[in-house]
Amino acid sequence: MNYSRRHMLQTASCGFGYLALQALCGDTQVMAASEGLATQSPVIPARAKRVIFLCMSGGPAQLDTFDYKPQTGNKKHPGSVFRFRQHGDSGLWISELLPKTARHADKLCVINGMYADTGIHAQSFLQLHTGDRLRERPSLGAWITYGLGTENQNLPGFISLNTSKSSIYSSAFLPSIYNGTPIGVNGEDMSQATISNVSSDHLPLASRRQQLNFVQQLNREHLAQRSGDQQLESVIQSMELGFRMQAEAPGLLDLNTETQATLERYEVGQHNESTGTCRKSDFGRQCLLARRFAEAGVRFIEVNHGSWDQHKNHRRDLQANCEATDGPIAALLEDLDQRGLLEDTLVVWGGEFGRPGLTPEDGKDETGHNSNGFTFWMAGGGVKAGHVHGKTDGTGARAVEGKVHFRDLHATMLHLLGLPANDLKFWHAGRDHRLTGPEGGNVVHDLFA
Amino acid sequence: MTFRTLCLLILAVAIPATSIRAESPPADGVAFFENRIRPVLVKHCYECHAADSEEVGGKLLLDSRDGILSGGESGPALVAKNPDDSLILQALRWEDLQMPPDEPLPEQVVNDFVTWIKLGAPDPRTHEATPTSDPVTKEKAEPSLWSLQPRTKPPLPDVKDADWSRDPLDRFVLSKIEAAGLKPTDDADSRTLVRRLHYDLTGLLPSIDEVEQFVDAHSRNREQAVEQLVDALLARPQFGERWGRHWLDVARYGESNGNDGLGRNPTFPHAWRYRDYVIASFNADVGFDRFLTEQIAGDLLPHDSPEQRDRQLIATGFLAMTAKPAKAMNTNFEMDVVADQIDVVSRGIIGLSVACARCHDHKFDPIPTRDYYALAGIFTSTETMWGTAANEGLTAPVTDLHVLKAAPNVLPPEGFVETVLVLESNTGKPKAIPKPKWPLGTPLSMGVRDREKPADCKINIKGDAKKLGDAVPRGFLSVFPDQLTESIEIDGKQSGRLQLAQWLTSPDHPLTARVFVNRVWLHLFGNGIVGTPDDFGVYGERPTHPQLLDHLATRFVAENWSIKQLIRSIVLSRTYQLSSDATEERLKADSANELLARHNRRRMDAESIRDNMLKASGHLDLQPGDGSIIRHRDILVNLAGSLHQPSDQRSVYLCYLRSSPPPELAAFDLPEFTSVTGNRDLSTIPGQALHLYNSPFVIEQAERFSRLIQSQNDTDESRVRLAFRQALNRDPDQNEVAQAAELVRLTKADLKSEDKAWASLCQALLVTNEFRYID
Repeated sequence: MNYSRRHMLQTASCGFGYLALQALCGDTQVMAASEGLATQSPVIPARAKRVIFLCMSGGPAQLDTFDYKPQTGNKKHPGSVFRFRQHGDSGLWISELLPKTARHADKLCVINGMYADTGIHAQSFLQLHTGDRLRERPSLGAWITYGLGTENQNLPGFISLNTSKSSIYSSAFLPSIYNGTPIGVNGEDMSQATISNVSSDHLPLASRRQQLNFVQQLNREHLAQRSGDQQLESVIQSMELGFRMQAEAPGLLDLNTETQATLERYEVGQHNESTGTCRKSDFGRQCLLARRFAEAGVRFIEVNHGSWDQHKNHRRDLQANCEATDGPIAALLEDLDQRGLLEDTLVVWGGEFGRPGLTPEDGKDETGHNSNGFTFWMAGGGVKAGHVHGKTDGTGARAVEGKVHFRDLHATMLHLLGLPANDLKFWHAGRDHRLTGPEGGNVVHDLFA
Repeated sequence: MTFRTLCLLILAVAIPATSIRAESPPADGVAFFENRIRPVLVKHCYECHAADSEEVGGKLLLDSRDGILSGGESGPALVAKNPDDSLILQALRWEDLQMPPDEPLPEQVVNDFVTWIKLGAPDPRTHEATPTSDPVTKEKAEPSLWSLQPRTKPPLPDVKDADWSRDPLDRFVLSKIEAAGLKPTDDADSRTLVRRLHYDLTGLLPSIDEVEQFVDAHSRNREQAVEQLVDALLARPQFGERWGRHWLDVARYGESNGNDGLGRNPTFPHAWRYRDYVIASFNADVGFDRFLTEQIAGDLLPHDSPEQRDRQLIATGFLAMTAKPAKAMNTNFEMDVVADQIDVVSRGIIGLSVACARCHDHKFDPIPTRDYYALAGIFTSTETMWGTAANEGLTAPVTDLHVLKAAPNVLPPEGFVETVLVLESNTGKPKAIPKPKWPLGTPLSMGVRDREKPADCKINIKGDAKKLGDAVPRGFLSVFPDQLTESIEIDGKQSGRLQLAQWLTSPDHPLTARVFVNRVWLHLFGNGIVGTPDDFGVYGERPTHPQLLDHLATRFVAENWSIKQLIRSIVLSRTYQLSSDATEERLKADSANELLARHNRRRMDAESIRDNMLKASGHLDLQPGDGSIIRHRDILVNLAGSLHQPSDQRSVYLCYLRSSPPPELAAFDLPEFTSVTGNRDLSTIPGQALHLYNSPFVIEQAERFSRLIQSQNDTDESRVRLAFRQALNRDPDQNEVAQAAELVRLTKADLKSEDKAWASLCQALLVTNEFRYID
């Protein structure tokens, strides 16, 4: 039963803090016990503390980015139509479209054997985020925050940037405390997007502090007459947390403190033109914010760019998508590495599925969807560096070795975070639910350093 | 004959037909089995198809010869010597069935199975298959689930302090407190009580005058004062708004479909009529049995007037509010709608989760798959009418709607386009607007009606509408005693909804009354007698006071299912009127307050926070909402931007779009309204503080509130006093006056603005815990 945990969340000081503490103490037994899992769940040593998910919506073309399929034999066949080259000591094949990311080849762990259940965008996108294709279920970030809490008491544990719809960052039936905090929804201008109600100008900060002092004075007197009410106590603390968030979040969102060089490296404010399916997303600002949130201790940060669904003008639109994301991602990897954050930050790149390859020189420039084989990559957070796992067949049509389903990807991510994937459960509507669904996911140990 | 003996008989008949019954298999055949077949079964099948599997798939056991031969839900798994007729091969070949589910086995392995079956499927495994026991049999064998026991009329328990009780229900509470060696706490003082009663019965806090009047009357004659107040509050129209809202949570009321899984969210432009129906029913104190019957079968009930006809049709909107997954590529769409209808009836009304039985016998509760399809037949015989679904066929097909007769025609405002923003899903260009079926402004309602040809429903094997098993005669859950169902016969020419309603509202139904009185208790005490209001099943919590629950339920039925009478009895009880203060000793003895030796302090819900802020600002408009802002809009919410508009009416009349909640309410644990919500979450998150600090709504109310304060008084002290009285229903003490005046003085000095200074104080009062918590 989750009741004790649910009750705890209601009464514990701001929920967040308590769970974070619990997680930091490695006290997953408490969580397990309150979930009725008791002792069979192993306590896994965590390799990563946080996740940055670079979500490439629309289905990035793996054969022209990371899964090199040169022509073989005499007859032309579908494969890569952009040039590839080996990079770094590891010799990873990366396409000419991603020259900046390629400089970090030795940090990447490329998964070429991904597969999914469906080639329908919305369903696969939902499954990538929640494990379920049709119904609103808790999002990956919500599950992780549920399992681990957050490291920073001044910020939410799960932030989703430039997100599409609430089902993608929803806590669904998990307590709402795990809901993702969206920044930039529904095509808002990402360069201005912010946290809902995070500030207003009706009073200057000093006056607000005076106001809050008065409120808390009344709250403490109110509590003194009702001694021992933990709920009231936790509200008093969350009012302070909210106040600090008001103070901290706008600062984190404000990139003026970054040097011009950094802003340029991340290409903040560039790529402001849409090209075909590639929409302007100020991806540089997203990546820089992601680094800042990671530094500040946010547990799960999702950044979004799309659409990679370039049906008609494959070459032009793919190139635009790559250009818009290549520099920012390279800058992010570089900064995380330099600041020692890459060790315990798991960076994950991918979309809801991939695309079939074009056949060189046949004059066609149109691709569709391919859920039978596509690519994800990871970096940092305890995964092998400069490594390729799994492969697709000669034309990239389907995964044939080292196959990894979203369920397995989820299980692997949870595992790296120290969460026993198939045992992280929540009781709802008459049964236990878990991110990996009734089937469960397989942890891909081959990815681990 | 019990079901089990019946099964055994069938088994006995089936086995000779396979012609290998008692013969010992040829030795080389056994070797083939051991070398080629058994390892495959063990490796690929036993996980789900063995006696010790966590959950036996399709009730099929492959770990014994008898298991394979007798088969599972889909029938015998193999026919010896006849591979092509053997289900197991169809599955291995990934034809209709696809096993193992992850990927097909290599062709060579499949060919081994062909060979083996041709050999006559020699199989030395002799141990008895243990078919999953039929849950009905199991339940009847061990009738252990408390909630299925017939309701009793428990005698009033003896108590030491007989004078303490005011209502019989108090005796049940007191006896448990005494048994624990404790005493109940003191009565709540009259100021606390008047605030609690106003909040619980109407959702609105009392005005300071109402507080003073009650305190005065209470000091003269406590009993009379409380009774008069309770009766007055029960008679206010705000009662129905408050309690109707509670029911709307159960009914997963929403004004749009919610995300269909493809990101589309069409409006329900007529859903508000159901909202108004619910509010009016609570205000009219329609008996709960009648209330349920109208919602399940209002279209099948006789009527005396067009008004009554309209009302009953609108009531069936209860079954049409499904948050539907998209129709596109979804062969199970119709059954998804049925699943939601079964869920809202089962969890919402009888507190049992039946949904799992769609795919397999319920793992925990005594609900077999057959029962699910017995209920499903009632709903597949029913036509559900949600409307146009924004004319987006990928989301849902267009359905008919009920055309109302007494309701007025209301035309959209001039220049208004009834249907906007329907875009071609491929091009994103506006579609031609389909011509509405009815003249503009025709009063319409969501709801249900019987299909022309009602029919029983076939079992969908593993919940897949393409794999059909036997048809199951329409009916109800088999776990209940036969007496409950024997007088109710479903007319083959009708859907059976009327009989379903009859069954649910039978005075002897063990669950309907229990579940509802528990919901009422939960809203009055903050916790239910059963802590899981939507789950009275095996994995739900057990009642803390089973006899009290039965006492209340029995009384409820005896008093004609009158909701007002039920609430009246409870709030007039001594238990309800206890203080929420707890001494350390009491807290220690019973921290969760399971003994009810004190009241529970509660946070206002999202709607009440907004309503009472509006009330404090002097701008609450008590006029009931007229329709909805989307009443003329058949559109996709996800394409429309924010549809919400500021309003001063009560929150229940705001637009409850799924996936796009009213911004004034979203911060405080508003449910998604996609499925039954008996108990809202109570999170404490910083987003709530941000809402209180910075939301335009709160800031506006603070400014309005401050104008009220500034306009009516001249000295700072009297203004402070008025502000406290208006927001917190009490006078401030000297200390508080000084602190408040200091805040105003500091802010005024810093900002050189009288208005901002007073608005800051007013906002402060509105965000205090004292304002938002009910003792």
